[in-house]
Amino acid sequence: MKLSFYPGCSLEGMANDYARSIIAVFMELEIELIEIEDWSCCGATAAHSISESMSVLLPARNLAAAEKLGLDIVSPCAMCFNRLRFSQQMIRKRLFDIPWPVTGDIQVHDMTRFFAEPLMITSIKKRLLKPLSGLKVVCYYGCQMVRPPKITGYTDYENPQTLDHIVAAAGAEVIDWSYKSTCCGASIGIARREIRESLTSRILQKAEQAGAEAIVVSCPLCQSNLDIFQKDRPKRRIPVFYFTELLRLGFNQIGDPHWFKMHFTDPVPLLKTKGLL
Amino acid sequence: MHNVASDREVEPKREPGKERKLIGDRGDFFLNKIQGEAGVNISACYQCERCTNACPVSHYMDIKPHQAMRYIQLGWREELLKSSTIWVCLSCEMCTTYCPNEVDVAETINHLRNMAAHSSITPKYKSLAIFHQTFLDVLITSGKVNEFRLMSAYYSKPDILKEKMKEGTLKEEILLGMALLRKGRLKLYTPRSRAIKELQKVDR
Repeated sequence: MKLSFYPGCSLEGMANDYARSIIAVFMELEIELIEIEDWSCCGATAAHSISESMSVLLPARNLAAAEKLGLDIVSPCAMCFNRLRFSQQMIRKRLFDIPWPVTGDIQVHDMTRFFAEPLMITSIKKRLLKPLSGLKVVCYYGCQMVRPPKITGYTDYENPQTLDHIVAAAGAEVIDWSYKSTCCGASIGIARREIRESLTSRILQKAEQAGAEAIVVSCPLCQSNLDIFQKDRPKRRIPVFYFTELLRLGFNQIGDPHWFKMHFTDPVPLLKTKGLL
Repeated sequence: MHNVASDREVEPKREPGKERKLIGDRGDFFLNKIQGEAGVNISACYQCERCTNACPVSHYMDIKPHQAMRYIQLGWREELLKSSTIWVCLSCEMCTTYCPNEVDVAETINHLRNMAAHSSITPKYKSLAIFHQTFLDVLITSGKVNEFRLMSAYYSKPDILKEKMKEGTLKEEILLGMALLRKGRLKLYTPRSRAIKELQKVDR
């Protein structure tokens, strides 16, 4: 099986640990990832906010490159996924002049939904060497991955299940909670800190109340936001994992021993008490 | 009995800024324009306030999402472009998702933000407008957005520096940047995309 991979800017910088864990997991599952050649940024919130045509054209360039490869795209970043899908819909409406040959016909997969397919779940279960038993987690989806349903194609946007299925397949105990897709405010965090802080602290508080020992995310911005916010908290810190990091643990691939060092909230004590490290 | 409502001349004088605006004093021109450009059926809004109740940041907004829809119906352009609403909006799409009439509220607010960015009106939250513009500038010059390049470009803007000095958070931000560097989360250099020329051509 082959897929084209659109990493997005975050995976080269802030979330380079995510990128490494993704590559490790895909290798383990024997799926070949081909990085889109010479990809460029999807424009994120900024292009969308300032110029509508840029918000369609920037992802269109990457869609054109993927179409040249003829492979479906898998996108690990929620924002990139949302922008690619949005651009695809606009391309099909033919309202913008796009300088690259693009039809908008290939599939753009969001990585969690790709892994939550029954076929992939069985494949994960088959390769599981060290089930994450006893680890109580809540899954946090964030906003851009599930909403608006017309663009993302999620039908269960009020209570999304994809991450829950994946993490449960890896053997962890998944707790249901109500803040799965509440926005964490990362996009506004740099310019208006107080707004981000009010949103993030509420999510962390609710995760604690639900009895979670860790939060599982798939969006690089959500991870850095939820993780860095806890930097100044003296106690009751909750580690924030990418789901691929947990899968990697389940496959018993420790890889680089310093891999968890990139987390501000050190997950090592928790993993040690659970006997996972 | 004297009918006050029908007598224009007895209309009480109001303080400046609080003058009564006539409903539809611009006809439905503005409404039609936004509906056409954004492709959103704003006329369908019947003020049920579901968008405002779903919005996670509505208490930071001076014009609430449902009010913004009404303002458009009434053609009150300047009030909207001057508002904090358009800059505070996170584009988290809660409003759009829960609207019973399928009014794409987030897209509409985004369209207003586009209009404000291209107008001469000073945005209420300058820092957000500057952030978005800086992001695009970095994108156009390097094809990809490197966080270090973005942050250094953003903090070297005079308005932002002034604001951070006033808030006294500059030191904190620098320390956070250092911590990110130590953790290996901030890369000083990432390869640029070869797309720069292509992108500069499409930047309008």
